[in-house]
Amino acid sequence: MASQTSPWLRSARAPMLIAMLPALLMIAVLIYLTGWAIAYSFTNLELTGVNSINWRWIGFDNYVRLFTRHGFLESLWVTVIFTFFSAIVGQSVFGFSLALALRPLYGVGRTLVEAALMLGWLLPDIVASFLWLAAVSSPGLLNALVLRPLGMQPIDLLAQYALPVVIIANVWKGTAWSYLLFSAALDSVPRDVMEAARVDGATGLQRIFLVVLPMIRAHIATNMLFITIWTFTYFTLIYSLTGGGPGTQTEVLSIFMYHQSFGVGKLGNGAAISVAMMLIVGVLSIFYLRQLKEPK
Amino acid sequence: MLKRHLLAATAAAAILAGAAAPVFADMSIEYMDSFAPLVESGVANYEKATGQKVNLVRLPDDGYQNRVALDLASGSAPDLILVDSFLVSEYAGTNYLAPLDDMLKGWDQFKYYSKGLLDVASYNGHIYGLPTDTDVRMLWYNRADFAKAGISEPWTPKSWDDIIAAAEKLKAAGVPDAFVIPAGTKQEEATTMQGVYMALLGADKPEGDRNRLRVRADDKWIGDSPALRKTLALYKEVYVDKKLADGSVNYTLDTAGVNKAMLDGTFGIYASGSWQNACFWGCDGKNAPSQADRDKLVAWTPWPGNGEPGNKTTTNISGGWTIDINAKTADKDAAFKLLTSIFDEKNFEDWTVANHRMAVRSDVASSAAYSADPYLAKATALAQDTTGRDTVPGYQKVSALIQQATAEILDGKSVDDVVKEYHDALVDEFGADKVVTLK
Repeated sequence: MASQTSPWLRSARAPMLIAMLPALLMIAVLIYLTGWAIAYSFTNLELTGVNSINWRWIGFDNYVRLFTRHGFLESLWVTVIFTFFSAIVGQSVFGFSLALALRPLYGVGRTLVEAALMLGWLLPDIVASFLWLAAVSSPGLLNALVLRPLGMQPIDLLAQYALPVVIIANVWKGTAWSYLLFSAALDSVPRDVMEAARVDGATGLQRIFLVVLPMIRAHIATNMLFITIWTFTYFTLIYSLTGGGPGTQTEVLSIFMYHQSFGVGKLGNGAAISVAMMLIVGVLSIFYLRQLKEPK
Repeated sequence: MLKRHLLAATAAAAILAGAAAPVFADMSIEYMDSFAPLVESGVANYEKATGQKVNLVRLPDDGYQNRVALDLASGSAPDLILVDSFLVSEYAGTNYLAPLDDMLKGWDQFKYYSKGLLDVASYNGHIYGLPTDTDVRMLWYNRADFAKAGISEPWTPKSWDDIIAAAEKLKAAGVPDAFVIPAGTKQEEATTMQGVYMALLGADKPEGDRNRLRVRADDKWIGDSPALRKTLALYKEVYVDKKLADGSVNYTLDTAGVNKAMLDGTFGIYASGSWQNACFWGCDGKNAPSQADRDKLVAWTPWPGNGEPGNKTTTNISGGWTIDINAKTADKDAAFKLLTSIFDEKNFEDWTVANHRMAVRSDVASSAAYSADPYLAKATALAQDTTGRDTVPGYQKVSALIQQATAEILDGKSVDDVVKEYHDALVDEFGADKVVTLK
């Protein structure tokens, strides 16, 4: 083995180890914090009160409660709907279609569309939430520009369609990322391959589904990996728009965990929810990472 | 070679860590917007008197308690903290707060505080904070809406049915949210106090704590009772069956949004408390019109019981806030000096009167300005028959669970399901022997 490393690396082993220290430190901190979260999930630790000092190990009780009590499964379902429609369908498909549609477009038009897309992405979540609140309230923009001119009664969209509104808001906010990634991916598809497909008589749709998509499958998997993780654990925009309500209509797992940990004060239970979230996202990530590999 | 490098790196890291240790030169205080006038003028006096700087950690009202709990739990809380009185026992029981008994004895203004009003800031016989005010709760209503709906004033509902009937008239007259009772988790303690408890107290006979969340004498939480079911059924009637208000107002409106809705008539009737005489206009008194002008816009009436014979005819429960000292403060004497600067007679009286808060000190209550205020006189009359929360450790959790229960009602679940879930959650937390079902 040693003979395979370059002589330069062998002689510089000590400085290299020092250079690795920050990375090692960070990995240690990550493992330490994750380890604590996992450890807490087996305790009855609470934010305040007796159980915050004299906590004890309670085995899998917190995990059993995830399935025997209201809350977790309902919240998981809301999270799945939110992630599926806003990340996978919304951001990914919409981002890809935009990237495809804007390819022939150059100059001011494309710059304008890209700037508009980026604006959503660049805005801080709290600002975006304020804009959306203003847009969907009953005296707001959508009612004034769309519903009223059509002769409909003004409605509070956030009250009637809370989940669809937060999904659309998140699509608006996150599509820029998918668009940029897919634009770069489409650039990497060689022109001669496309030409060859065209000469062979492939239709437009065939060229997309049989040539382009297989060639950029690694990009698709990477994109899915990122946006699924982000969306599955997303908190700020939803919380500031609806606080998880009305009722529990938009209570995604991150908000459910926040309520359990800091509202009810059950840190142990909150930790169990976070570990469950980690496992779910972990399984999805493994699935995506497998897609990254080139088929043999 | 490697060993030496590692040693050097470790030493460097240790020095860096040492240099980063916190230095508590100045005092700091954590509070929320609605108490800013009291805190900030007191801080200004302290800074003038001592020449020391105070770091202000001013936070929005929404979500304030979660932030405080987190700061205390993580050990990063400031020296002084504004704490809702129901949390004092919880935090004192966790050793987050410093007992003030000895220092209070040496303070010349301590004699104005009565023992009864210090109870909310005490735990196990020790005083942990000074109360800022106390309060009463009532139904506020928009007078223009009442005129529009043809409901005569003064409005004096005698039962829940009277409230519902008025709300239905308001709804028919085009008031979008005719009767708003705080509900759900985002409203936090407002749901428990202004909503659930005010209804609960009038939902059954007051004997044996049948109209409460807890049987105090037996040290047991009530997991299921007729009063609890009737209270949740009221929520269901208002938000689900008759849609007298849209449940989403409890989630999408912040304090400013609620104030606007109350004053522009989007809300018809709103279950809230005595502080609103100032706080509908922003709490600090800066933008508030004269009392006569306020009275033209809104009025209030006591919460009636549900109208069944034997139940209370009007209900009330009181809370209030306290300012406490962090047990981890580096300089207890400086912290106490800052505390007494805030509660110094002049500063405290000015704020109490300007904000129409209910006084917690005899000197303020007997002052000319306070006793001449007609609003305070009327509100104080309500305080003749009031009660307090179940301020024992664990209340915070129960309160959060009852908030979740109302959220589930908003979701359209049945009262039976919600009560069962609430009962089981209580058993999870406290054990079956600490939870009782009343028939």
